[in-house]
Amino acid sequence: MTLHIVNQSPHANNALGDCLQAYVEGDALLLIEDGVYAATGQHDLPESNVYCLKADAEARGISIKSPIEGVDEVRWVSLCTEHNPIVSWFK
Amino acid sequence: MPQSKSILALCRHAPYGNALAREGLEAVLACAAMDQIPEVLFINDGVFQLLEQNPEAIGEKNLRRNLQALPMFGVETLHICKKSLEDRGLTPDQITVAGAELKFLDNPGAFIANFDQVLSF
Amino acid sequence: MKFTLVVYGAPHASEGAATALRFARALLQSDHGIYRVFFYGDGVHGGSALSAPPQDEQNLLGQWQELQSAHDLDLTICIAAAQRRGVLSSSEASRLEKPAGNLADGFELAGLGQLAEAAAVSDRLVTFGG
Repeated sequence: MTLHIVNQSPHANNALGDCLQAYVEGDALLLIEDGVYAATGQHDLPESNVYCLKADAEARGISIKSPIEGVDEVRWVSLCTEHNPIVSWFK
Repeated sequence: MPQSKSILALCRHAPYGNALAREGLEAVLACAAMDQIPEVLFINDGVFQLLEQNPEAIGEKNLRRNLQALPMFGVETLHICKKSLEDRGLTPDQITVAGAELKFLDNPGAFIANFDQVLSF
Repeated sequence: MKFTLVVYGAPHASEGAATALRFARALLQSDHGIYRVFFYGDGVHGGSALSAPPQDEQNLLGQWQELQSAHDLDLTICIAAAQRRGVLSSSEASRLEKPAGNLADGFELAGLGQLAEAAAVSDRLVTFGG
């Protein structure tokens, strides 16, 4: 299954929306950089397999809302090994 | 080099506003020239790359020339997200690329899942 | 697994350049291999030797160079994207009649074929957008 990586704020542009249009049941979503602003619980995200890079959320003062799982960079690497292909949605 | 991995180029950006559209097509042509022939999917604002263009007015080279070169490099089918067209008020009959077969996809996510590597542009 | 990283973000302008570095470190820490880091688009500025950030800010160029020499990384700058943006080796600079080259040690200029080849032989490819 695909690992989708979104690095844009959902308030800035449609990268997250574009990603979700291509999201298939069983895929995983990882929020990084400004993408972590979607981890606050205010946005419609898939019910499972959604991850958020902890360091990027902490850096911005954002609390990761359950059931989104905070991950470190090493866990990010294992998400990459567990999924294929890996698709980045930026700008 | 044998084609060992399936490669998808995901073209998501409109031409001219930034370099991604041009540099994306250049990468697609380079992969094809190396016999790593990628499939190409135009989605989101990437579908705007498929319209007729007159960028001479802004001093740019016409990106359609790169598009039209794709079939000659072995990229004979261009995949296009149907919903992205609809969202932008475009219809499939407005899109033509000489020498290329156009396939309009209802489910781009399922298509993307078929590939080993995705190059996003 | 063998990973290829594709970096579009310009250093000190877009976070992608720094995120790629963090991811590269985590990969090496997890005993995976980095087949190639390919700098494309605005990412090619990552190979400019002229970057001089203030002392109290992170030095992305220096960090890539350290990682490169510690792990013998392949750091490839796309030559076509780099020529447009003014990242040149000394020999390219003299061929193109420009005043000086600025390609940093540890980085190589090469064609887009190196991206195609890396995609073909790597187990995973991760893009770091601008």
